[in-house]
Amino acid sequence: SQPLAGRQAAELQSKVVPSKQILHSDNMEMEPETMETKSVTDYFSKLHMGSLVYSCTSKRKSK
Amino acid sequence: LKLCRMEASCLELALEGERLCKAGDCRAGVSFFEAAVQVGTEDLKTLSAIYSQLGNAYFYLHEYAKALEYHHHDLTLARTIGDLLGEAKASGNLGNTLKVLGNFEEAIVCCQRHLDISRELNDKVGEARALYNLGNVYHSKGKNVASAGTHDPGELPDDVKNALQKAANYYEENLTIVTELGDRAAQGRAFGNLGNTHYLLGNFRSAVLAHEQRLLIAKEFGDRSAERRAYSNLGNAYIFLGEFETASEYYKRTLQLARQLKDRAVEAQACYSLGNTYTLLQDYEKAIDYHLKHLVIAQELNDKIGEGRACWSLGNAYTALGNHDQAMHFAERHLEISREVGDRSGELTARLNLSDLQMVLGLSYSTNNSMMSESQAVEKSLNGTRPRVGRRHSMENMELMKLTPEKVQNWN
Repeated sequence: SQPLAGRQAAELQSKVVPSKQILHSDNMEMEPETMETKSVTDYFSKLHMGSLVYSCTSKRKSK
Repeated sequence: LKLCRMEASCLELALEGERLCKAGDCRAGVSFFEAAVQVGTEDLKTLSAIYSQLGNAYFYLHEYAKALEYHHHDLTLARTIGDLLGEAKASGNLGNTLKVLGNFEEAIVCCQRHLDISRELNDKVGEARALYNLGNVYHSKGKNVASAGTHDPGELPDDVKNALQKAANYYEENLTIVTELGDRAAQGRAFGNLGNTHYLLGNFRSAVLAHEQRLLIAKEFGDRSAERRAYSNLGNAYIFLGEFETASEYYKRTLQLARQLKDRAVEAQACYSLGNTYTLLQDYEKAIDYHLKHLVIAQELNDKIGEGRACWSLGNAYTALGNHDQAMHFAERHLEISREVGDRSGELTARLNLSDLQMVLGLSYSTNNSMMSESQAVEKSLNGTRPRVGRRHSMENMELMKLTPEKVQNWN
């Protein structure tokens, strides 16, 4: 049985990666997503919100 | 006056939310934005901006159902007030969120809307961003379908190939525009994802070229995370080109940067890749060295799946060295862990490895026979579902890959 075991050991060795199977790490590294951004301050500076807050604070101050 | 106070307080809360999100504390930012919504405002553009930022904050917090809800509110609102640019932005964000949730068809519709409006408004920056998003959706779609089966990169069904080819086309279109605009950061992102798309398509030389560009740009910006990503992706591509020495050099750079950046999960990943690469180089001592390093970190992070993979790899490497006692030890541990995490295919592999090893070690045939019949029972009950427990994020995309004999011959 010794030669048999020897042959089996050799077969086992030959079965080891890479000849049979490998746990391949398919861990691709993706780049981050880009999200579109909106900001309250955009409207705050550009539009009427500025004057609204101004009028609110000035009313508060005048009170 | 009451309305004024309300508006002011809504704005103040929203501004604080913006400040917190910009500072990187999305969790706290969300509370302020939600408080702002509670107070309410008559100004629909402000409300739209709040919804949009809430959606993005939840997106970064990986709470995608909430992100979807708020981006949807934002889209509805933008349409209601006829804010075309706002609609484009909301569509893009909704598209990205739907993509992450795996709803690719709706994601495509949304991203296409972002693209159409951007073109209508002659907004080149928006157009480029929409093209990048579309590329990402098709890439995810392709990868998602591909992962349903086990394929090597390059061996793909037609629908997968079509989706990936579309992704590559969108990235190329994006690159044309961002190159004209001189936007190097955007070029970097597009090159990275284009490289990964070529990799999946099996165009490994093109993948290398794209990742080399990505690496160059990452170095320009001193962006070490991006640099590390590029090294890792280059390593992966060189593996499939059969150039294992080169792959090992890139994985070593990855490992170096992972240690500098103190990212244990990424460090583990790099060790695992190096272990596999040295196995392919048939340098089993080095393979064992790296797989042991991977094992230690997996245990430290309580990553059972990773630990199981490490044991499986170590079992193989020790078998190759003829160290059957150590091989047995790790095969048994692999079996234990596979059972613990309910990994049926891992359990089957471990049983087969153990029965092989027992045969070599001349153990009794009766034990072996009972092992075999148990293995067959496991095989019959295999239902193909993969376990999700205890997976650490960086390991999520690791799959058991079968290498076809022709391919292996080509490598050696």
